[in-house]
Amino acid sequence: MDRGMVVFLGALLTFSSSWLGLVVFPFWQLGAEQPYQKEEGDTPYPQPLQGLALAGRKVYQNNGCMYCHTQQVRSEKFGGWWDANGEYKTGADIKRSYGLRRTVSRDYIYDNPTMLGTMRTGPDLANIGVRNPSEPWHHTHLLNPRSANSWSIMPSFAFFYTREKIAGSRSDKALSLGREWTVDPGYRWRPSAKQWDAIIANRGNDLVSQYTTGQPAAIDIQTPEGKERLLEFWLTTPEEEYQVIPNADAESLVAYLLALRKAEIPLPEAKE
Amino acid sequence: MNLPPFSVGPAGATRETNIEIQTLAALHMPVTTAPEPPQYDRVKSAAERAAIDASCRGPVLFFASSAVFWLLTGSMLALLASVKLHIPYFFTGSAELTFGRVRMAHLQAVGIGWASLASVSACLWLMCRLSRAELIYPKMLYLAGVLWNIGVFLAVVGIILGDGQSVEWLDAPPYAPPFFVAALGIVSAWTVAVFRRRREPHVYVTQWYLLGAVFWFPWLYLVAQFMIFWSPAVGVVQPIVNWWFGHNVLGLWFTPVALGSAYYLIPKIIGRPIHSYYLSIIGFWSLALFYSWAGMHHLIGGPIPAWLATASTVGSMMMFIPVLAVAINHHMTLLGHFHRLRYSPALRFTVFGAISYTLVSFQGSLMALKDVSATTHFTHYIVAHAHLGAYAFVSMIMFGLFYYMVPRLTGREWPNRTLIRIHFWCAAVGITTYFVALSIGGWWQGRMMNNPDIPFAKIVAYLLPHWLTRSLAGLLLTTGHVAFAISFVMNLAGWGKQRSGGPTFFVESVEQKTYPPP
Amino acid sequence: MTAVDIALFATVIGSIVLFGGAAALALGWAFRDGQFDNFDRGAKSIFSPDEPIGEATDAFPGMPPRLRKTPRPGEPTAV
Repeated sequence: MDRGMVVFLGALLTFSSSWLGLVVFPFWQLGAEQPYQKEEGDTPYPQPLQGLALAGRKVYQNNGCMYCHTQQVRSEKFGGWWDANGEYKTGADIKRSYGLRRTVSRDYIYDNPTMLGTMRTGPDLANIGVRNPSEPWHHTHLLNPRSANSWSIMPSFAFFYTREKIAGSRSDKALSLGREWTVDPGYRWRPSAKQWDAIIANRGNDLVSQYTTGQPAAIDIQTPEGKERLLEFWLTTPEEEYQVIPNADAESLVAYLLALRKAEIPLPEAKE
Repeated sequence: MNLPPFSVGPAGATRETNIEIQTLAALHMPVTTAPEPPQYDRVKSAAERAAIDASCRGPVLFFASSAVFWLLTGSMLALLASVKLHIPYFFTGSAELTFGRVRMAHLQAVGIGWASLASVSACLWLMCRLSRAELIYPKMLYLAGVLWNIGVFLAVVGIILGDGQSVEWLDAPPYAPPFFVAALGIVSAWTVAVFRRRREPHVYVTQWYLLGAVFWFPWLYLVAQFMIFWSPAVGVVQPIVNWWFGHNVLGLWFTPVALGSAYYLIPKIIGRPIHSYYLSIIGFWSLALFYSWAGMHHLIGGPIPAWLATASTVGSMMMFIPVLAVAINHHMTLLGHFHRLRYSPALRFTVFGAISYTLVSFQGSLMALKDVSATTHFTHYIVAHAHLGAYAFVSMIMFGLFYYMVPRLTGREWPNRTLIRIHFWCAAVGITTYFVALSIGGWWQGRMMNNPDIPFAKIVAYLLPHWLTRSLAGLLLTTGHVAFAISFVMNLAGWGKQRSGGPTFFVESVEQKTYPPP
Repeated sequence: MTAVDIALFATVIGSIVLFGGAAALALGWAFRDGQFDNFDRGAKSIFSPDEPIGEATDAFPGMPPRLRKTPRPGEPTAV
C-alpha cells in the first residue's frame, strides 16, 4: 500500500456509493412528491403553513424545541408492550394518540426545515393541534409548564411574555392564571411569611370575605392554619393591577402548534 | 540541515544546534573509535523528527489550544443543559440559556470546536511525522485556524442569541458554515500536500485513515449544507441528508482520525509493531464501505422509504467486520504490554478509547436492529451511545494524542503527573457513570413509552435520578477538562520542566540510547 | 411493480455490479502491483533508529527510565 492514489480512489468509490444510495437516490425518489387529493375538488393535503404559524415554525426552530419533541408517528408494528392481561400489543405511538396513523414522507412536503426530531423527553407533537386545540392552555403551559402539569420539566418560556400594569381594563389576551404564576413570570411565587402577615394586616378582611363567598366553612385568619388556607386561595386569584400578555413570538409559536395536524388525514400509502 | 530551537539535548539544554549535539555525542563516545553507523543514525533520525515536529509546532499548537478552549466552553454548556433537565427552574428566565439553545450550542462547541479542531491537529501532525515531511507555508494554516475559530464562535454565539437551525449536528446559523468550509479546504489541501511531499516510501495505515478523513469530511459538509440550507430539499429528504451527515461525521471524520491516531500511538508508545497489517487493511476498507451506509438507522420507523432503513441496518451489521479487525489488532498488539498503562499517560487514554470503539460499535450495530431500535429510539439511551462514541472513544484518543504530541511540539514535559491522573480518572469514571446511568434510564424510558398505559408523568419521574447522575458525571468530566487545560496552559507557558528520565525524546535519547557501553 | 420500483431495482443491481466490479479490478491490480508484498515492512515503518522497536516512548513526567524495557539480545533495534 505505497500509493496515495489507491487510497484516494478507494475512498472516492466507497463513499460515492453511499452518497448515491442514501442521498441522491432518495432525493430523486422523494423530491417531487405532490399533495394528496382523494377526489377532484377536495382540499389537497398537506397545506403549506401561512402567516403566524409560519413565523411560529421559526420560533420552534430557533429555540431547539425539536431536541425534546419529535414530530413523527411510528407504525402499528412499532413499540410493543404487554397489557394488563399479559397480551402482547404493538403500536404505542398511535395508542398514545400521537396520530391516527403513522406519518409518511408526504406529510412533510411543505416542512422546511423538516424537524422530525430524535428525542422524546417530552411527548410527540405531530398532531398537537388536534390533540390539544386550546390556545389559552398552550399559553399558560408555555409561560410555566408547571402551571399545567406539576411534574413537567419543560423550561419556562416566560421570556415570550410581558407582565405589565393594567391600564384601563384587562386585555383580552391576558393569561388567566393565579398570581403565583404571574408575579414572577416563569417561576412559582409565594410571599414570605412576613410579607403575608403584612398583607393580612392590610386587607385581610377583604380577602376573607372574598374567600367566604360560596365557601361552606368560614375562615379564622388569627390561626396559622387559617392563614395558610387563605394564602392558598389568594395565590390562585389573578393579580388585580398586573396582567401577563403574550409577545409576538408566543402568539406565533402557539399558532404553529395549533397548525400541527399531521397523521390525521388518511393517506393511501400509510395504510399498513 | 535546519535544526529546531529545541531537540535532543540533555536536561536543561533546550536550544541545541546540530554541532552541539555532535559535540555532545563525541563527549560521551569512546575516544578511540569513530561513531558507529547505527548510533550516528540515531542522532540523525532524532534530528530529522525534531525538525518535522518543529515545523508543525506553531500551527498545530494553535489548533490544539483552540480545541482545548472549545472543550471547556462545550463542557460548561453541557453541564448547564444537563442540570436543566432535573432542575427546570435553573436559569429558566433568559431566552439565551433556554435548554434547546444550550443543547445546540453544546453540540457545535464540542463537535465542530473541540473534536474537529483536535482532529485537525492530529491530521497535520501525524501526516507530517508519517510522511517524514515538514509542514510548509504554515501561515495559511494559521489563517485556517483563525477562520475555524471565527466559525465556531459565530455558531455558538449565534445559536445562543436565537439563530439556531434545529438540524442536528448542523445547527450553526447560516453565517458560520462559510468559515468552516474555507478553513476545512485549507486544512485538507495542506494534509494532502504534506502527503505528496513524503520522503517515507511506505504509506502507513494511519495515513490511509487521515487521507480518507480529509477527503470525506469536506464532501459531507458541503453536500449537507447545500441540500439542507442553500437549496433546501423537499420534506423528509432533509432528515435523510441530515442523518447521512450526522452519522458519517462520526464514522468518516472523527473515527478515521481517532483510529489512525490509535494505530500510530499504541505501537509507537509500547515499541512494538501492529500485530497484523492484513487486518488493518481489512479494517480500513470495510469501514470505508460500510460505515458510510449506516446513517439511516437514525430514522428507523420514521417516515422514510423502508428500503433506506433496511440498507442502513445491513450496513450497520456489516460494521462488525471492521470493528472486530481493529479490536483484535489493537488487543494483540498490546498483549503482554498492559503494564505500560501504568507508566504512560498517552497510552492510558488511547487504550481506553480503543476499547470504547469496540464497545460503541457493537452497541451501534445492535441498535440498528429494528426490534432494539423500537425501544431505544427517541430515548436517552441514544444520548448515552452518542457520548460513548464521541467522548469515550474519540475524545479519549484525542486526549491520548495530546499527551503524546504536545510535549514533542513544545519541547517540554508535562508539568505535573497528578494533574494528568486527575484528568484520566475524572474522565474515565465520569464517562462510565454517564453511560451506565443514561443507558439504564434510556432503556426503561423506551420500554415505558412503548406502553401507552403508563402516563408520561411517570416516565419523567423515573428519569429524574438518572439525569441527576448524569449531571454529577458531567461535573467529573468538566473537572477533568479543567485539569487538562491547566496542564496544557502550563506546558505552553513553559512551566513544564525537562527532568532527567523523561520520555525518550528528551535527555536520554542522547545520553543513554546513543551511547551504550561498547 | 411501479416505475419507481423498477428504477430502484435497476439502480441497486447496477451499482452492485459497478462497484463490485471496480473493487475486484482494484484488488487484482493491487496484487499484481505488489501492494500486498512484505507487509511487515509496513508495520515497522513508524520506528526509527532512535525510537526503535522494543523501547517505550512515553512515560509520566519524571518517571524513572528503568521502567523502560531494554531490547533483548538479538531483538532488532532498528528497521
